[in-house]
Amino acid sequence: MSWRVRVVHTTGYRYALPVTQSYNEARMTPRADRRQNVVVSRVETTPATRAYRYTDYWGTEVTSFDLHAPHAELKVVASSVVETGAEEEPVRTGTWADLRADALVDRYTEFLDWTAYVPRDRELAAVARELKRGAGLSDAVLAASHWVHEQLTYRSGATGVHSSATDAWQAREGVCQDFAHLTLVLLRAMGIPARYVSGYLHTKPDGEIRETVRGESHAWIEAWTGGWWGYDPTNAIPVGPRHIWVAHGRDYADVAPLKGIYSGGASSALEVTVDVTRLA
Amino acid sequence: MTRSRARTSGLRRTPARAVARLGELFDGYLDPARPHADAYDEMFGEDSSVRSAYRALYDSIAPSQVAELTARSEALDRAFVDQGITFSLSGQERPFPLDLIPRVLTAAEWSKLERGIVQRVRALELFLADIYGDAQIVRDGVLPRRLITSCEHFHREATLLKPPNGVRLHVSGVDLVRDESGTFRVLEDNLRCPSGVSYVMENRRTMARVFPDLFARHRVRSVGDYAVHLLRALRNAAAPNAADPNVVVLTPGVANSAYFEHSLLARQMGVELVEGRDLFCRDNVVYLRTTEGERQVDVIYRRIDDDFLDPVHFRPDSVLGVAGLLNAARAGNVVIANAVGNGVADDKLVYTYLPEIVQYYLGEKPLLPNVDTFRCWLPEERAHVLDHLDELVVKPVEGSGGYGIVFGPQASTRELNALRRTIRANPRGWIAQPVVQLSTVPTKVGDRLAPRHVDLRPFAVNDGNSIFVLPGGLTRVALPEGSLIVNSSQGGGSKDTWVLAARSSTVDRELAEPGLATSAVESPAAEQGPELTTSQQQQQQQQEKGA
Repeated sequence: MSWRVRVVHTTGYRYALPVTQSYNEARMTPRADRRQNVVVSRVETTPATRAYRYTDYWGTEVTSFDLHAPHAELKVVASSVVETGAEEEPVRTGTWADLRADALVDRYTEFLDWTAYVPRDRELAAVARELKRGAGLSDAVLAASHWVHEQLTYRSGATGVHSSATDAWQAREGVCQDFAHLTLVLLRAMGIPARYVSGYLHTKPDGEIRETVRGESHAWIEAWTGGWWGYDPTNAIPVGPRHIWVAHGRDYADVAPLKGIYSGGASSALEVTVDVTRLA
Repeated sequence: MTRSRARTSGLRRTPARAVARLGELFDGYLDPARPHADAYDEMFGEDSSVRSAYRALYDSIAPSQVAELTARSEALDRAFVDQGITFSLSGQERPFPLDLIPRVLTAAEWSKLERGIVQRVRALELFLADIYGDAQIVRDGVLPRRLITSCEHFHREATLLKPPNGVRLHVSGVDLVRDESGTFRVLEDNLRCPSGVSYVMENRRTMARVFPDLFARHRVRSVGDYAVHLLRALRNAAAPNAADPNVVVLTPGVANSAYFEHSLLARQMGVELVEGRDLFCRDNVVYLRTTEGERQVDVIYRRIDDDFLDPVHFRPDSVLGVAGLLNAARAGNVVIANAVGNGVADDKLVYTYLPEIVQYYLGEKPLLPNVDTFRCWLPEERAHVLDHLDELVVKPVEGSGGYGIVFGPQASTRELNALRRTIRANPRGWIAQPVVQLSTVPTKVGDRLAPRHVDLRPFAVNDGNSIFVLPGGLTRVALPEGSLIVNSSQGGGSKDTWVLAARSSTVDRELAEPGLATSAVESPAAEQGPELTTSQQQQQQQQEKGA
């Protein structure tokens, strides 16, 4: 069954000294697709400014804005109401032979390539070989996700925003971003096209209607096994009504929720809050 | 060096005997033991006859004395130092050596080149529009997607960024070489910030000062109106509602090796030369800070690499660029020339697919062939390259200025082994070509003239209506004997490049020829002297007023 969910995502920066110029891009607008319907969505900033919206290479809606009046704090609030889809079943139509076809490899080349966050790693490639042995495509995806879920301990603050999959693997701990990246390393090592998905998660499986919970910015993966489908390695659960999809790309760098530059001294991130309310 | 002297020398119209009786300047020129003796010499044919393009030039210089040559050469060097034209070589300033013997192309040779370049630019424009749009050429399976996505300069940030008049290649520099049979081939394309056109203009000015007599004897097509064409292309590129578009030239600054060119072009166009810190974006509009306040900028002819252009999207530590520029262009409020992401079309691996690209978009065969190239990313071709490394020139697909190129025949076994490992580790990063024996042109070496290898970089300007190719271009010459490396960054020199006007009126012919641009300002076919063009004078006045 599907849910109707309101998400209010608040983030931003606090500056040591007032900043007079800053240029930013927010990727915080949920996307519509066959399993998610966006009822309403907006991105607001304090101080207020005129925003410019465009769709980037990955299809993500970007809100770009710049500020020119002195400000000591920048707050960005993205609010949306979306209807999420039912729990996703693994797509089981593809075979390993399909993935060896040059046309398919070429079509999904960007989701098979290594990146700074998802680097080639000999040790993990050996793990991937072990996990895929005898398994069908979608079972290999599940095996990789579950392996990551078992190997990594979830601990916020264990890794930074720039940590790669191998950093997290060496530390054996991380956050959702690391779980997703590490799973991508295994899947790409197996030759399965796999992409990084950013979004939000309602933290309660049996969310009460009208109850607002402190949710989180979340990340999971999608794999191509005859079609794209999502899985959440951090929680070892299928992607379902609690998952609100915002963007996908090769890794975190393609979908970072807020990035920008400013002129001035030190800054610190504001506390990120994600309030998620099940409406229906 | 007058016509009558040439006649009395008895050399005219007796080309076959000419070599034996060459003036002392040509002593030993056609020595069969010289390096790369089978290279195409542009002045002398196989039977040592003087080719038609060079006949008048040869008649003028052959009878000269060594002392006269030396005197002219010194005059040339002085003229250059006076004008302050230098090019940084390993951090040291030195005069950019202009050789005193021009390189000459006949009207027929040029017309063929011009058509080939125009065709190439048209195809590459369509290719870039497609790649940063729907990528139909990839969907149709003509090019592999990974060819594009693996390009270092494929900038996803430029996707769906459509310039108002569709032009991305406002200026292109197409590097040509001439093989052993005399056929011009494209060695590489330069579609990002091609430089060198200032040398074309300054070489001509200097030559006209030092050799007025030569220009009196030839009908050489003018190169003085380049800035007129460039300015028109930049103004045409502006959004349609910019009534009187404000164009600026964006330079990295005085420390840049091509700063001279940036300032020359700005001055000739009568537009502001600015650095990144002079500009800023607000609400996706770009402004220039002036003493009279902010002034909106409509078109930026930028001579800064993509990576440094906008710290919001590219290198965040760049202090050369302008934050917010890319989204201002995306919003249609400013035009960046050349466009962001053009590097995908001058990647040296993409270059090898040019015949497919021309065929796909234009349904034509390329008029100008490429140099034969082996692609290390294809297994069979890689195997061939690895087996024949000592016979090939191996080049990184990325990079320019001659850096990273390995000449197999001159490399040590150790270097070749290292190269073999490098190629195996990153086959996408390398291509290999047979050692192309670039054509030779007589060049002053000491107190004689000797054959030295040259290439040619013509410049094409697309104003959205037509593609103009500046007659000639920059001829670069490798000065050491036998050297095939012509890059100025590797110590090469240059030559004034002459395109001879056709016997019939050039202007009439150009008007009759479809698809080729004519000059808006009708300039005389022959360059008579170093006078400033009208546009230059106007611009200098504007500059003074604005200061």
